[in-house]
Amino acid sequence: MLKINNVSKIYLKGKDKFTALQDVSLEVEKSDFLAVVGPSGSGKSTLLHLVGGLIQPDSGQVLFRGNDVYKMNSKEANRYRTKNVGFVFQQFHLIPYLTVYENIKIAETESERKNGKIEALLEKCALLPLKNKYPSELSVGEKQRTAFVRAIISEPEILLADEPTGNLDPENSKILMTLIKEFNEDGGTVLLVSHEPETTNYATKIITLRSGKRV
Amino acid sequence: MNPLKLVFKELFYRKVSSLIILVTVIAAGTVSVAVYTLSKASENETRKIMREQGLNLYIFPKGTNLIDFYSVNNTSTFPEHYIDTLAESKTFDAVRHLTGILQLKYPNWVDPNGSKHQIVVMGYKDEAMQRFLSKQETMGFDVEKGTVHIGALLSVNIPEGENFTIAGTDGKQYEFKVAKRLEEGKGMLDQGVAFNLTDLQQVLDMKGQINKIEALGCVCHDGRIKNARGQLQDIFSDLEVTEVSSIANARENQRLMMNKYGSFIIPFVLIVSLLISGLLFYSNVNSRKYEIGILKAMGKSKSYILFMILFKAFVIGLLGSLAGFFAGSFIAEYFGKEIFRFTAMSIKPLWSLLGYSVFIFPILWMLASWVPALLATQIDAAKTLSKE
Repeated sequence: MLKINNVSKIYLKGKDKFTALQDVSLEVEKSDFLAVVGPSGSGKSTLLHLVGGLIQPDSGQVLFRGNDVYKMNSKEANRYRTKNVGFVFQQFHLIPYLTVYENIKIAETESERKNGKIEALLEKCALLPLKNKYPSELSVGEKQRTAFVRAIISEPEILLADEPTGNLDPENSKILMTLIKEFNEDGGTVLLVSHEPETTNYATKIITLRSGKRV
Repeated sequence: MNPLKLVFKELFYRKVSSLIILVTVIAAGTVSVAVYTLSKASENETRKIMREQGLNLYIFPKGTNLIDFYSVNNTSTFPEHYIDTLAESKTFDAVRHLTGILQLKYPNWVDPNGSKHQIVVMGYKDEAMQRFLSKQETMGFDVEKGTVHIGALLSVNIPEGENFTIAGTDGKQYEFKVAKRLEEGKGMLDQGVAFNLTDLQQVLDMKGQINKIEALGCVCHDGRIKNARGQLQDIFSDLEVTEVSSIANARENQRLMMNKYGSFIIPFVLIVSLLISGLLFYSNVNSRKYEIGILKAMGKSKSYILFMILFKAFVIGLLGSLAGFFAGSFIAEYFGKEIFRFTAMSIKPLWSLLGYSVFIFPILWMLASWVPALLATQIDAAKTLSKE
């Protein structure tokens, strides 16, 4: 389903070059749960953003169902991100002036819109009583669960999770990882970036990056 | 989710920054509306003063000695149809309210008591409508045929209800109904009689003749008298223009100064307000970079993000223009009454300005937010959202 062929990405910081990824290749099948591990600065998040269509690689290809994500026009690229990819970040990135319900609603696509779908997911994630609360009124666990529901509301094929438990306590980490695992068991593909061994235990495949290279 | 709802929710969430931008629009709107309204009031004031003073340009046969004109009876005349030619001219637009007059001393008028007096007789032709200029309210005397308006000094000698009688050059007695008794302060007319031109021409046997055209000089930047002289010379080289200089000049200069200041103040305030707003929009975009990043990660298009910023600017521009219009009109009305004595009561909101304001200000503020909006579309979602 997802094929990454020899991608490289170099960042320029002033006059210095920083190689985030170097000739990385990997293949992800549908319903895989892939954990990407490695030390800080090893290129884990860059790999995730490449898959999400957010960073143009300097070389190589990111193929989704045979189509190069970076050869899509802007409309197709937006559609790819809307329909096929869902993001969960360590910092949640909820929109502060929207309620829990609205933060999820904004990510919902027209075609996937079904009555009661948001409520059902909120119920599943124990967020229904909080649907009209603003992010500032939520605990970190509640914020991350809201971000998770927002990521999966459009039923994406791939969930990209960038250190999703980085700000959570063990109890909330477990709740979130269980929800991510359930998404995976329901047929969703997960790419998880983490350096916490407990979270990688949920993965079915693990790859390690070091200094931008797969080891 | 409706992007409009997103815009309004953000607007209320970031109340302070939205309010500061709104204040800049209101300030610009208030100053623009107030200055424009006051400059219009100043223009009206000048016009009114000039009207109060009567017609301020006289057109005489060339070489007329003004001292003689007021003291002797046999001044040069010119054909009445000259005035029609001027009114029909496309190029003669430096003066308005053209009124053809036949004005003479009448040495031996006998009042109803039998006393003889020297009076001034003035025959007024109806004000000429200038074909190529907009229609205006008439300023000159409108004396109906068969009637006269008698001056304040003269009316003492004519009892109420009595007709005015005058001997014609042909020896006949002509009788006219007194339609109006004029108040004091009409200059020459205080001791005179205003006729319809045709009536006076018949009394004096001067058919088709006039000896003066009174007119109102236009309010021109390059000097009305110079303009009027040039234009008249091109049509009738046997006539000349004399200006009755007056405080209208000072008023006109004041008005021109007001216009000059207005044409500097309005753009200055607008540009400063737009620059401040542009910086505030930039700061707003900066504080929203995570939000914009996540929207991009969700697949929201650049046009969606552009719309979010520009529509916010539109809403603020619209609200600010409305508030600015009413505040500016109020200020103009409040202070204008102190400044403009003659037109104080007529300083009212210029409603046409409301239309311009609600059209122009949202567009200007959208332009002010244009660069920040473009920068918002260029926000690198990966860099913004990534911790690595």
